[in-house]
Amino acid sequence: MKQRKQTTNRRDFLATAATTAAAISCPYIITSSALGAGGKPAASERIVMAGIGIGNRGNDDLGSFVGRPDVEYVAVCDVKKGARESAKRRVDDHYHNKDCKMYGDFRDVLARTDIDAVHIATPDHWHAIMVIEACRHGKDVFCEKPETRTIREGRLMVEAARRYQRVVSGGSQRVLEDYRGVTEKCYSGELGTIREVSVECGPPSKPCNLPGQPVPADIDWDMWLGPAPWAPYHEYRVSGSYNINGTSWRSWQDYSGGGMTDWGAHKFGGAMFAADVRDQGPTEVFPPDGKEHKWLTYVFASGLKFYHTPGHGNMDPVGTPGERIDPKPFPQYKGSGGLPGDFIYCVRTREKPFRDIEYAHRTCSVCHLGNIAYELKRPLKWDPIKEVFPGDEEANRFLDRAKREPWTLS
Amino acid sequence: MHYRFRIPTAIAAALMILGCGLARADDKAALDKSFDALKTYDFGTNRDDLKAIDDAIVSTHGDAAACLELEKRLAAVLSTSASRDAKDYVLRSLRVIGTAESVPAIAALLEDKDLSHMARYALELNPSPEAGKALRDALPKVRGQLKIGVIGSLASRHDTESVAAIAASLTDSDKAIASTAAHALGAIGDADAAKQLGDFLAKAPDDVKPAATDAYLACAEKLLKSGNKSEAITIYKSLMGEGEPKHIRLAATHGMLAAQGLKN
Repeated sequence: MKQRKQTTNRRDFLATAATTAAAISCPYIITSSALGAGGKPAASERIVMAGIGIGNRGNDDLGSFVGRPDVEYVAVCDVKKGARESAKRRVDDHYHNKDCKMYGDFRDVLARTDIDAVHIATPDHWHAIMVIEACRHGKDVFCEKPETRTIREGRLMVEAARRYQRVVSGGSQRVLEDYRGVTEKCYSGELGTIREVSVECGPPSKPCNLPGQPVPADIDWDMWLGPAPWAPYHEYRVSGSYNINGTSWRSWQDYSGGGMTDWGAHKFGGAMFAADVRDQGPTEVFPPDGKEHKWLTYVFASGLKFYHTPGHGNMDPVGTPGERIDPKPFPQYKGSGGLPGDFIYCVRTREKPFRDIEYAHRTCSVCHLGNIAYELKRPLKWDPIKEVFPGDEEANRFLDRAKREPWTLS
Repeated sequence: MHYRFRIPTAIAAALMILGCGLARADDKAALDKSFDALKTYDFGTNRDDLKAIDDAIVSTHGDAAACLELEKRLAAVLSTSASRDAKDYVLRSLRVIGTAESVPAIAALLEDKDLSHMARYALELNPSPEAGKALRDALPKVRGQLKIGVIGSLASRHDTESVAAIAASLTDSDKAIASTAAHALGAIGDADAAKQLGDFLAKAPDDVKPAATDAYLACAEKLLKSGNKSEAITIYKSLMGEGEPKHIRLAATHGMLAAQGLKN
């Protein structure tokens, strides 16, 4: 009873602090002394979390959060019974109790007023609806990459986050962790002005026409599909394995953008970071044409270029090394514990996280623009401010896709 | 000397014309073959059998006549006994090239429980006014989840002409429909939608109020963005009362600061 009251008081405190922050226009820092002495905050000060989508990656994220002394992990949600039972066992083993609750419907998780934050690692086609609903329910969100399935989804996710002043972090740990060395050189001025970045990642996803298989007893197939078009169950639609060779949901257009988004979210994210354009977008996209454009090419208003170079390189910025450039502050994670730690820190301080949803959306937009150019096989002009293809009614049809009822994006 | 150079040029030109003709004939044959494959297309059959249609969708860009011919041919499949999957494919294709021409054939599927979603898939971002009208016309005819879908698609189109019709669903006994209607008005977000929501909020049932409140906030944002500052402020002020949940008051406070030109 006392613990519950203390927990309520902490959430009241954070909410009030956020309101105060709004009024005085600066973030409110909670000092470690305010959180309690020693390494482990008092129970009333822990951030209460739940996980939605506990497959391969979701399990990794669960491990990142449940192991933290400043998190109290209370619930898991997955449309597969086996996944949620396994996740519950893992959480219960950590806390040496049986208190972790299981859900098959994310709405039941979001309806809980005691939960402060959720991490989401479902297939990509669910991300937008879940993030937006979480914000509407006053939750902060850690959402795995690629954070969006369409460009319009991303903008609506940002709007929801801003409307409710939620901390919404995307999930690419590789932007800083894999590319720290080269990006530090970009920010130090050692590479001069970044003129182009080559990005190696896989191709777009494909249409799926797998035959039907009997639906296993332990999966809610209708809920797995959610807003995606109806299709019969097949294990290769559902599998969360990390390949895009036709044996996992990452291969298929209805659920994923393929390699372009699955690894593109990391590597184009790295490119945006290296070139310091995380809040921007290109103005032109050229698919490879065997003539002027060997690779899919993005052009920014500044003249900066990105190239999609499948099978070649990694994330490779090229600048003007001899040019004298003043160093810029190098963005870092806040707090400790990598990207999840950065998220938790920002939940407390109400700052924007390293992979703020605006940056995540902008990165995914680059990936989606590439996929659209590959599909339409022609150059595209893009307005990164209005987020439309000016005068290109055909391309604008790819900004979103109708959601299967009863799911809507509005 | 001149004569010797002229003959090869003429032959080359003739060969090129012949080649183009043969290529077009090949394309037509491939397209016919794909449309034949569509008659028996179903889950598990070879997706590559339809490749010629995929290619034609791309290659007819910029050729209005060819595109229209392809659109008509695809739309015609919707009234045949082709499988659900075949019609799904057609509707995905019409999502890309559909115009007013195919709207009637697609609209006929909005009341079909299996194909309503994919009909909306084709119509939702079809910029023709006829697509919007078809969705509005379907609204009073559909029930349950199909109604939610149609409202959602009108919302995605920011269809201001459907505000009154959507607002009528705010009082639907199905909470999901009522909430969807509320969110749709928020997505449309004009002054008319804001008024409908404001009037509704005064008497909204508890289980629809969260959706209506979120939508009202969304309206305020859009009104502010379009320069209607005083209307936006009125909305924010109405949501700052002690009876509102804390995250709503926070959102309204944030909105007020934005309206005053202050950042937080």
